[in-house]
Amino acid sequence: MKWTATFVCLLTLLAQGQEFSQRGFVELNGNFYPQTFPIDSTRAIGGILAQYEPKWQPTPWFTLNASLDVRMDSHQQVARNLRFDWQDRSLQRTPFSIRELAAVFRKNNFTITLGKQFIRWGEADFLNPTDRFAPTDLLNLVDQELLPVTAARVTYDRGNDTFNLVWQPEFTPSRVPLINQRWTFLPPAYYSFDAQDQGSIFPGRSSFGVRWNHSSARYEYSLSYYDGFNYFPAFNIQVDGPAARLTYSRMYPALRLYGGDLTVPSSLFTFKSEAAYYTSSTKNQDEYVLYLLELERQIHEVHIIFGYAGEVVTAHGNALQYLGERGFARGLISHVLYTLDANRSVTLDAFVRQDGASSLVSPAFSQSLREHWRATVGFAWLRGEANDFLGQYHRNSFARAELRYSF
Amino acid sequence: MNKTWFFRTVAMLALIPGFAPAQDARQIMIEVENRTRSRTEYYEGSLEVINSSQEITRKRWQYDRLGAYGNSRSALRFVAPPEVKGVALLVINHPDRASDQWMWIPAQERDRRIALQDRSTRFFGTDFSFEDLEERDVDQYDYKLSGDDTVEDAPCWKIESHPRDGKTSQYTSSILWVRKDRYFLVRTDNFNRDRLIRQITYRDVESIDGIWTARTVAVLDKTRNSQTLLTLDNVKYNLPMRDAEFTRENLSK
Repeated sequence: MKWTATFVCLLTLLAQGQEFSQRGFVELNGNFYPQTFPIDSTRAIGGILAQYEPKWQPTPWFTLNASLDVRMDSHQQVARNLRFDWQDRSLQRTPFSIRELAAVFRKNNFTITLGKQFIRWGEADFLNPTDRFAPTDLLNLVDQELLPVTAARVTYDRGNDTFNLVWQPEFTPSRVPLINQRWTFLPPAYYSFDAQDQGSIFPGRSSFGVRWNHSSARYEYSLSYYDGFNYFPAFNIQVDGPAARLTYSRMYPALRLYGGDLTVPSSLFTFKSEAAYYTSSTKNQDEYVLYLLELERQIHEVHIIFGYAGEVVTAHGNALQYLGERGFARGLISHVLYTLDANRSVTLDAFVRQDGASSLVSPAFSQSLREHWRATVGFAWLRGEANDFLGQYHRNSFARAELRYSF
Repeated sequence: MNKTWFFRTVAMLALIPGFAPAQDARQIMIEVENRTRSRTEYYEGSLEVINSSQEITRKRWQYDRLGAYGNSRSALRFVAPPEVKGVALLVINHPDRASDQWMWIPAQERDRRIALQDRSTRFFGTDFSFEDLEERDVDQYDYKLSGDDTVEDAPCWKIESHPRDGKTSQYTSSILWVRKDRYFLVRTDNFNRDRLIRQITYRDVESIDGIWTARTVAVLDKTRNSQTLLTLDNVKYNLPMRDAEFTRENLSK
């Protein structure tokens, strides 16, 4: 808390007389679940999120980017303490968090970014197999948020080629659903068990990645390499059946990725593909290929994406792994955005598992009101079978509403 | 024999209606380019989007350009209203083909390539299409002088243009009005086949740093009956800019 206040004051002082810009928003949001879940009877969750993004550029070659979140909610997805978590390793979201605090140095064709930042790799939509510096917050599986990483990134731009080197000294895990809430990671068979969390074992070494991107008129492609850790945990679970008790701990297996993406625009549609082969030196981690093939097309004000996300497991690990993004593989995906006018838009996202074991349909309507306000309403309709990653949450269909004031 | 054939061919071509004027039209367009050429350009744009119900939406952007006509890079960044602040577009123009474009949307923390088939789409709620934000290079079009006309009492050449093979465009033809006294483009009617799609007029022309500049650009989308008025403020030419400022990495700055 003190640290955050000091940081904001410092930025304000530094900003005087310098090139300074800021933006942000305050958002009220609510999710309404028509059905209860076996371990969670809450039907309505309300929350408030304030985000402030100052940017200070004292010289053309140096920029300081920052972003601060303040939030709370009614369902304890946000911790009710004032603990500050720079590493983003807490199970719950924290009331105060630094989304970004990065120094950016630019010299000729080089850009060096140091600090907490967002790093996005890959060109596909919906699912990015090569995006390994982008852990996610999955406390609501359907409404995911991106988490930042603390890293050093060097980018070199030369004509049509861009080289990216990333070193992440400190591991940031994805935030998986809470065990006692409706998006729980526990398999249904253990809902009635007394679960004891033994904590997490975080990797001790750094992660590293390199990406080369080439773009031209007829195609664009990238090659990626990553050596680090899976940001989704594998669980070490011990079950005491007669006592209906289980203990579990989280670990994050080593992971190595060889990947690439390809975009080919044509006069009819844009073809995008992205694939990655994951290997691991540990036995508790699957080895697999994750890929995505998609077609993108703009027809007047309608933007359509349709694709297939696939997975081939080449070696099975021996631990219970949280699937995360892999849970959305082996299925058809689509995204439709219809821009009604300058202020209104409608979106429709859909996912259907290839064997029909689960499906998700999520339409939303968004309207801006004057220059500062935007209201969004929508719902997510989930169907499926209990043994499917997504289908197990078939009681979690929900309606949502957001009202955002931007400044 | 060869010389005789050559002179006869030239004489016959000169008799074909429109052949010689086509040469003139091209010269006019080259002169238009030359008179508005600058190493760099910067302006602050205020936009009013007026839809068919006469509702007005206001936006503002900052525009930077390095290079000119077919060999340039431009970056356009929204600065208002707050909910679109930070949205940016990078356009890399090429002399021999359509531009490459990428759009940065802060909420997604990534840029997205604007595909060729997307270029007819309206740019972020304005009546400009992505293609309208490209710089038209004279060598990517064929021109034909189709007569004289007046725009706001100023005598103009009326020139018809068609994109050449290799130039991908939503417009199959355009009619350009060029003021005779200033060699300045004051109006463009853009057609798809025979249908008028978009009309762009350039008003409030004044000389800034010796370059004729339209301080108001009006874009009328005839298909939606919607209009965008772009007002250019703080226009500056030939400011120092660097290539490195016009990269995808720099879009998020």
